[in-house]
Amino acid sequence: MRSPFAYTPRPGPLQAASPGAAVAYLGALAAVAFLYSSPLVLVAAGVAAALAGRLAGARSAVRSAIRLGLAIAVPIVLVNALVVNRGETVLARLGDWPLLGQVDVTAEALVDGAVFGLRAVVVMIAFAVYSACVDPDRVLRALWPLAGRSALTATLVSRLVPVAAADAARLRDAARLRGPGAAEAGRAPLARRLLAGSLDRAVDVAATLELRGYSLESPRQPRRRRMAEGLWGRGDPKPFRRASRFDPRFYAVAALILCVAIAGKLLGADDFHAYPTIQLSFGPATVAVSAVLVLSGLVPWRRAPKRVPAPTPRSRPDVPRGPGAAPRPQDLDAALQPGSGTHPPLGASGV
Amino acid sequence: MSELAIRRGAAPALAVEGLAYTYPRAPRAALADVSLEIAPGEFVLLAGRSASGKSTLLKAACGLVPHFHGGEIEGNVTVASLDAIESGPGELAAVVGYVAQDPETQVVSTTVAAEIELPLEMRGDAPASRARAVEEVALALAIPHLLDRTVDTLSGGELQRVALAAALVTRPSLVLLDEPTSQLDPVAGDELIWLLRRLNEEWGVAVLLAEHRLERCLAAADRVIAMDSGRITFDGAPAEFLAWSHASDPALTTPAARLFSLAGIAPLPVGVRAARQSLATQGRRSDTGDLTPSERLVLLGHEGKRRQPAALHPSKLREEGVRSPAAAPALEARGMWVELLRGEKPRDVLRGVDLRIKRGERVALMGRNGAGKSTLLKTAAGLVEAVRGKIETPGGIALLTQNPSDYLVRERVGDELPGEAGLAALRVVGLEHAVDADPRDLSGGERQRLALAIALAGQMEGEGLPGLVALDEPTRGMDRTRKDDLVALIGDLAGRGAGVVVATHDVEFASEFAERVVLLGDGVVIADGPAADVLSGGWYFATEVARVLDLPGVITPEQGAAALLGEGEGAG
Repeated sequence: MRSPFAYTPRPGPLQAASPGAAVAYLGALAAVAFLYSSPLVLVAAGVAAALAGRLAGARSAVRSAIRLGLAIAVPIVLVNALVVNRGETVLARLGDWPLLGQVDVTAEALVDGAVFGLRAVVVMIAFAVYSACVDPDRVLRALWPLAGRSALTATLVSRLVPVAAADAARLRDAARLRGPGAAEAGRAPLARRLLAGSLDRAVDVAATLELRGYSLESPRQPRRRRMAEGLWGRGDPKPFRRASRFDPRFYAVAALILCVAIAGKLLGADDFHAYPTIQLSFGPATVAVSAVLVLSGLVPWRRAPKRVPAPTPRSRPDVPRGPGAAPRPQDLDAALQPGSGTHPPLGASGV
Repeated sequence: MSELAIRRGAAPALAVEGLAYTYPRAPRAALADVSLEIAPGEFVLLAGRSASGKSTLLKAACGLVPHFHGGEIEGNVTVASLDAIESGPGELAAVVGYVAQDPETQVVSTTVAAEIELPLEMRGDAPASRARAVEEVALALAIPHLLDRTVDTLSGGELQRVALAAALVTRPSLVLLDEPTSQLDPVAGDELIWLLRRLNEEWGVAVLLAEHRLERCLAAADRVIAMDSGRITFDGAPAEFLAWSHASDPALTTPAARLFSLAGIAPLPVGVRAARQSLATQGRRSDTGDLTPSERLVLLGHEGKRRQPAALHPSKLREEGVRSPAAAPALEARGMWVELLRGEKPRDVLRGVDLRIKRGERVALMGRNGAGKSTLLKTAAGLVEAVRGKIETPGGIALLTQNPSDYLVRERVGDELPGEAGLAALRVVGLEHAVDADPRDLSGGERQRLALAIALAGQMEGEGLPGLVALDEPTRGMDRTRKDDLVALIGDLAGRGAGVVVATHDVEFASEFAERVVLLGDGVVIADGPAADVLSGGWYFATEVARVLDLPGVITPEQGAAALLGEGEGAG
């Protein structure tokens, strides 16, 4: 079974974009989550990331990220409520706790925790969309000129981790299939067996790498050129499609998001304070920043290609016609109109 | 292949001279005094039993031996004028491609395109030339539609093609393949062999192919090299190889050759086509060409034998007593549907399967990769739940999955199977003498039997067995001798009253052990009947003998020979 966060190639603008463009766009949304505390802006950033994922076809990744993000957010809210005693609106006094001392649950601490949780959810969604839509091979190869061996090691880890997970599932199945008279497999022997199997597999993969030329000296292209090709998508034709016509769109929107976020911050769009009492405003700047963010989620949308209608005889320009030419359909239609008083000349069509 | 394509006299694609090699800490040499030459454009088949040195020779030709494995080496290995002992595998990668048995261990990237591109990228080729090379090799191997797929979504056959593409993308003059079809179904296996033949003919790539199932690839080869105990024991044309193997090592003979040998027909055929031509030339079947199979059978006097293949079958080991119609059921599935997640979407892997297997019955479960064979066995064993319908194994089930090593988690056989129940299980598989051995020191066949004993332990009443013993692809990478041992073990288990069901791609093996074949296609039972009927009624899921003779119910060399001899007598 594949992880919902696993990269799946799809014919969308986000998948076609170069890694730099995709990272810039999704990174800008994640950056907003760190810059802002306003719940409205955070929700807008989350909606944008989710919308982008949905339009890119990564619906299950978004769903899983929201579930996982909420699973992380709830403990954050609870821990914040127990640990932070600031805030004037006390909802419950829980008395003295070991290590924590006097524990008062305040509405402000709960809301502050919820904002932290919301931030985590937004980042999780953006990362999930990145993971499901950006080809890890292209990212790692873009980084190759900087650290080729490390990039390849990272590639192998990203490949071998799911393989090891599949091995573990197989070992668990085999453990369940042991007869009642056999010794129980036990966790330690299973873990040892998994490790041994992984090492064997790693040896096989290492042999494959040797055969692919891994032991050769580093490729000879200038580092700067290869970085440019890999990361920014210049000069590499199909099938790797590092260059994409969608790149300018993602870079432009990433820049727009960051500019609007910074401008909004300066104009007071992030007007939220949890302590000592909750202060939250939905001024025009906040609403404007939120609106821009939500709209930015539409960037991966791809308009269905326009179908150019096939030229019909009616739309053809009139051309000089010889006396023996066949009648055109519009001539026949016109001639057969009731009351037209005309008929196609007999024999003109030669039929 | 023509002499022109093979280009004899040109610098050899591979030259080995006096090669001897011993793995580190190994008690004896894996290769001893091996000398051979492969001409450019030649298609050479490497035959031999398990541990005969085939894989080691291939690894020496691509530089993994000694550069990756270490050990002691003597002699010379030259690949396209490069010294393979001096040069490492990376340098040799430009002139030699290598494809191993397990495609899963041969892919290191996430997407197919990136995987194929990797060797070129390592070499520092320019992006434009990389893109063109990838496109061309993908077209040559008919996989352009896979380029954008991730490798974890590919079937075994697709993955093997991707591995082949990655080996060929540098346009090597020699490609080495180590049992590339062992994990493929007959359809994908045949496709791969003929793809290799086409590449060999069109691109002039020399091919050195190690295989156990020789009937699958002998007809495609220009030459055969046989190995035993690290030495070359035969080197010659396929037809000469058959004559040699018949006399010296019958385990390497193909079913069609055994058929001709038993029927006293010469020369031994290198493939189905040659066999049919030979029979037609000798007038054996010239007068039956326009008849239906049943009419031919009547004409040949074998109508009575059609329903009794076991009577002609030397390996049908057990009596019919335990398989009476009233025998207790070992497995009963009624309207069973199983759904599994494939990618993001659930998919029905089994669709309304109805199946009943009796105790004492030997059943082969066949079908293409992904047809649902393993899922059916896992559902029977309770590892997977049916979403609809029922499946029951009234007497219990012992399932041995595809990787017997998964069952072996301790360092002593006795620790895996303690007590009297463990010893009883070891006795059933004939391993009671190995109680103190380390499972890793056992041979492949013994490890498989040990894993089966672990699955059986504690499920036996006295000397009895669970109602059903299920084996999933047990013959991967096995030579003929080990398969014969397994046939005997299956016969023994069935004789003790267990229903035995084996999921397999190996039609020749199925013809040896099974009395009934269930053929699955896309989760549905598409054929279910006596092995002799099912394995003679098609093209891919049919034995070589069935394809040669095209006689209903005739699937083994012995049956075929009896049919041919009967025909001869009839004609006389």
